[in-house]
Amino acid sequence: MFTGGKSFVSSPPAFSNDAKRLLVCTGNTVSIFSTSTGLQTGELEGHGAKVTSVIVVPASTPASKVLCYCWTSSLDGNIKYWDFAAPELMKTIDIRFPIHSMVIPSLLSQTTESSGKIHDVFAYVSTEDVKLKADKTISVRGQIQKCNLTKSRLVGGLELAKIERPGSIIISPSGNQIGVYEKCKLLIWEIPAKDLDQHCFKKIRLHHTKSFTAMAFHPTERILAAGDVTGRILVWRGVGRKTFSNGKLINGGLNEDEDDSPGVRSGDDADSCTTWHWHSSQVNVLFFSSDGAYLYSGGREGVLVVWQLDTGKKKFLPRIGSPLLYYINSPDPTLSSISCTDNRIQLLRMPSMEIVRSISGIKLPSSRAEMYDAYGSGVVFNHTAGLIAVPTENYRVQFYSLFDDREVSEVQICERNHHPSDDITVKVNLVALSQDGSTMSTVETRLPEEGIGGLVSLKFWACDSQSKQFSLSTIIYEPHREAAISSIAFRPASHMVVSSSHGGDFKVWVRRQEIHPKDQNTGWTCHAVGSYKKKPLTAPITTLSFVGKSSYLVSASRGADPLLTMWSMSKLCTIWSYRLHAEAIASSMLNSTFAVLAPSKLLKSTGSTAGTSQGAEGAILLFNAENPVPFATWSVSKAQGGRLSFIQSSPFSDNDVADTTTAGELLAYVSGCHEYVVLSPHGDQDSKLSISRRRNSSSLDETERFGYASIYGELPEFTMEIDQTPFESMPQSEKTWKTIFSGPSHSLPPLPKLCSDFLESLLERRSTVVE
Amino acid sequence: MAESFPVKPKLKPTASKNTLTPESKYWKSFKVPKEIDALSKSSVIPITSLSFSPVAPHDLAATQSTNVFRFPGKTLIPKSKIASFPDTSASASFRCDGQLLAAGDLRGGVHVFEAKPTSLSKLKDLRRLKGHAAAARLVRYPRASDKFHLFSGGDDSVVKYWDIAEEKCLFSLFGHKDYVRCGDASPVSDEMFVSGSYDHKIKLWDVRVSSVGSVMELNHEKPVESVIYLPSGGLIATAGGNFVKIWDVIGGGRLLYSMESHNKTVTSLCMGKVVRGNGDDAEQNRILSVSLDGYMKVFDYSKFKITHSMKFPEPLMSVAFSPDCSTRVIGTAKGTMYIARRKSKVETEKNSLGDQFGFGAVVDEPQRKVLRPSHFRYFHRGQNQKPLEGDYLIKRQKKVKLAVYDKLLNKFRHKEALVAALNGKNPSNVVAVMEELVARKKLLKCVSNLDGVELGLLMGFLQKCSTMPRYAGLLTKLAKKVVEMRADDIRSSVEQRNHIRNLKRDVEEELRVQQSLLEVQGIISPMLRIAGKR
Repeated sequence: MFTGGKSFVSSPPAFSNDAKRLLVCTGNTVSIFSTSTGLQTGELEGHGAKVTSVIVVPASTPASKVLCYCWTSSLDGNIKYWDFAAPELMKTIDIRFPIHSMVIPSLLSQTTESSGKIHDVFAYVSTEDVKLKADKTISVRGQIQKCNLTKSRLVGGLELAKIERPGSIIISPSGNQIGVYEKCKLLIWEIPAKDLDQHCFKKIRLHHTKSFTAMAFHPTERILAAGDVTGRILVWRGVGRKTFSNGKLINGGLNEDEDDSPGVRSGDDADSCTTWHWHSSQVNVLFFSSDGAYLYSGGREGVLVVWQLDTGKKKFLPRIGSPLLYYINSPDPTLSSISCTDNRIQLLRMPSMEIVRSISGIKLPSSRAEMYDAYGSGVVFNHTAGLIAVPTENYRVQFYSLFDDREVSEVQICERNHHPSDDITVKVNLVALSQDGSTMSTVETRLPEEGIGGLVSLKFWACDSQSKQFSLSTIIYEPHREAAISSIAFRPASHMVVSSSHGGDFKVWVRRQEIHPKDQNTGWTCHAVGSYKKKPLTAPITTLSFVGKSSYLVSASRGADPLLTMWSMSKLCTIWSYRLHAEAIASSMLNSTFAVLAPSKLLKSTGSTAGTSQGAEGAILLFNAENPVPFATWSVSKAQGGRLSFIQSSPFSDNDVADTTTAGELLAYVSGCHEYVVLSPHGDQDSKLSISRRRNSSSLDETERFGYASIYGELPEFTMEIDQTPFESMPQSEKTWKTIFSGPSHSLPPLPKLCSDFLESLLERRSTVVE
Repeated sequence: MAESFPVKPKLKPTASKNTLTPESKYWKSFKVPKEIDALSKSSVIPITSLSFSPVAPHDLAATQSTNVFRFPGKTLIPKSKIASFPDTSASASFRCDGQLLAAGDLRGGVHVFEAKPTSLSKLKDLRRLKGHAAAARLVRYPRASDKFHLFSGGDDSVVKYWDIAEEKCLFSLFGHKDYVRCGDASPVSDEMFVSGSYDHKIKLWDVRVSSVGSVMELNHEKPVESVIYLPSGGLIATAGGNFVKIWDVIGGGRLLYSMESHNKTVTSLCMGKVVRGNGDDAEQNRILSVSLDGYMKVFDYSKFKITHSMKFPEPLMSVAFSPDCSTRVIGTAKGTMYIARRKSKVETEKNSLGDQFGFGAVVDEPQRKVLRPSHFRYFHRGQNQKPLEGDYLIKRQKKVKLAVYDKLLNKFRHKEALVAALNGKNPSNVVAVMEELVARKKLLKCVSNLDGVELGLLMGFLQKCSTMPRYAGLLTKLAKKVVEMRADDIRSSVEQRNHIRNLKRDVEEELRVQQSLLEVQGIISPMLRIAGKR
């Protein structure tokens, strides 16, 4: 049993000191990716709940750049200290509060003087008061607390602030200020360079009429930027000059004049406030460049905007494709990363802002997809290859390998520019894959505007056997007149597709080569049309499935009276049934077992699953067709919208871990938020352990080819050995040195040859015979 | 960064045979030469026959009215009248050396005259062969080497064989029971020829056994309009009625194939050649057939397949194809001559010259000069170099072509994008922009924002395109909505009222069409049902 498909964008990632690795919070673990290949190289496992922040200990000297230490905090109340090169857990601090965010200012401020003793390291954490959680009346649950990491305890009695919801703490790049935003105000504290346990903090507040959604500190100056829900960016200059400068006003005369601080609300401590407005909806990302000359901002539109701080001039990186969440720069000035809501981390080459690589997880389900859930399918499985196909919000289908936990490819279904902030008008509704995975058929719908211009198009895609890329084979506009398609299915082992519509008819599509084998055209064509009493093909029965090779049919219906029924096809009668709401049904291809995914709120009424653990929202029940008692159950979370399938474990067969008796099929479950579990349905404990994900722990040494090598390939090995063969000396000529130089210059002998002769000619030759 | 997609119209189903076959390309490469007027029209009198001289430069002779015209083979202009008869001329035929020309007239006379008349002998017959009691529609010289005989056929259903020098009919061949209208001499033998008649029969004659009558008789089953020998001499093609038949003469007069793709009477046949590249099968023979339905068809008799067909606006009477494959001439019933030439390659001429004089191999290529930095081309060398097998290719990124409306849509200036598309010519682009606006839920907003002139544009477009079946789904609904939304603006302006009137008229017309289509469907569907039951 293994899991995967975690969200990469739940919290900001962090670069290692040499910028060759990226640490990403993925659920309960921290995954380490290589920035040069985009592949996973390691994982830090140990937290019991979601990891909320990861902080790499920066290198103070160039020599310590190879050190790989990081702090992580998690919702289980632990702060852990790791050596992520090994990877190895070094230290654990339990503070018993769920930590939503953590910053460590002293890591950034360069306090480790060679002479001074090492100070205690303090972290500031945003926690949630779990004791108050039960009491719904108290809305203020978040706290900002201070934690002494050296002594492994919270600093008692010191609570910087209580806020309504525990949010993220933002730290200035120099480490001397931290801030949080809450609704319409910003709270900023100054952290002294030498932090002690009991230190009184100075605090200022800045106010605004709209709720804040992002903030950033300038690296060197007293400049603060904050973004709000309407898309405005506010830039305060001279923030806290009065409060933080210990009363010693540098330019007292100017600041005492209240009117001389334009744009600043009365009572706020700032010199001036300017507003920039380009974003049309809320700003999620604000970040100052390391030299402080530029401000990066991004939001729902999926456009990264670079503002020149002095002039307000803009530059854009458009069409990133989905709303931005975080922007992180790396110690390497040419590399930075953007996290997007579609579970993708883009690595940017910096001054030119090109996307060089992207690390992507399973695309998350669209937040607004529920509105159109009436006709829409979620994830589709490829039985043989262990792939899932996920329709995404930007009109694509993503293929994701369950065994590798890695994106395989993406196919653009609808050639249209995606604007992340629009409401959904064009959607890829249905995806179906043929059994061998060589053909895909998709349905996309454009919703009409007040009854005008709706369009359903059915597309068939063929997979190139070499490149494994899908290419468009046929488009059929409005296959069932105006009616929407309710479902499509491939016939196993032949090129035939059936689509059924809400309009009451179904059509059989075949590939043209099936009819005319000589036809060069590989397109698809309608073969037959049928209907049943002209009734719309949307019965309350949502799922029908033959159980393996047995003569049983299982059906599930939804609605007010949900029913799970087992039919015998030989006797044409019901064998058994449950009053059970089945979210998904998967039946094994090999034997007569099938699995049912049942959300638990409906299960409770039947009382059949008493043993579901706390927090689980559903259960997977594994039945044998003849027997109404499930022979295995698992409790899972987020069952709403989940999908089940049996997949072949043949990818294992080349590995030595293959369990020959039961390795035929594995059960894969993809939850509503696109996390997945693959488990062995007949599993005793041993075989569960034997299934392990194939880890492609590619080594970090795979360096990226750049510059000359990326264009022209590697140069042949060039040895620096000097040609050692000595110059043959000039044949002893009787010419004197004067005659040596006569003649055209190109026919002169080379200098090294001449040299000896020349010198020789200068010297008086002593006669060999001395008398 | 994801690539940017321009707004594209929906795909149209494409016909599978959209691309030209090499054969059609070849036939399309015959173009009207610049120096000749597009239609060399002189009168409304049909051109009864066309014939090319067998020797270079392949002069063309055409019979029209009472005259025989000669076109010089090099340029085809100017035409000159070389003979004038007392009655309508017919069936011009060159002697095998191209020096003499023979033609018949409708009074039954056969005239022999010089193909290139000098001023002295102008318009004078060298010989006049009298013997036919009715119009002589068939006059042919033997094609191989015989210069002293010819044969003729007439409406008196007699075929005569003449000695030209003595102006004497050597013998008459009887056997046909109706007008003899066509015939051809064998390309391999001087003694064999064939004649076709309106009694549906084709008769094969051999002058060596003239007493026996015809050697072979074939039944075309329709009045025979044209007969030709195919180059081997073993096959003949006959035209009559709507079809062309291919016969195997050596194999005992077996019918090989009947080509039935003309819709009206096939009037004339001739041999054509397809020249492609160099090699063994560089030259392939085709049969060109013309018909009163205005089509010229090219028939490949080795595969029994029509390889090309061409439509002309007038009924076609005669066709000729020059032996050097450079010229194709078609004469119509209304006196128009469609002359088309193909540019023959200069190299081939050169080569043939070289071969003639026998030093084709001696000519050596000029030595390639080595480029030096003194020359400007030195700095541009190698730019057209093709990549080698193992070279690492760096491709320039493909630029996405964006139209004006694409740029405006990218800037979210929706109304301007719609207007920009409306100003364009292509209705499918307008519909594509409208569909994109629907996907952004901005179309109706755009419509409500249009000012007077722009609304006029939109109304004009709707009037023009909303009844087109491909766009009707979107545009009829949109038209309804536009009229609802902008009723006040439309009422207040005269121009808009005009648009509405036109729109109304078009909609009514469309309704009428639909009504009649329904009627047709009502007629057909019971028949289909009955047919389906069988």
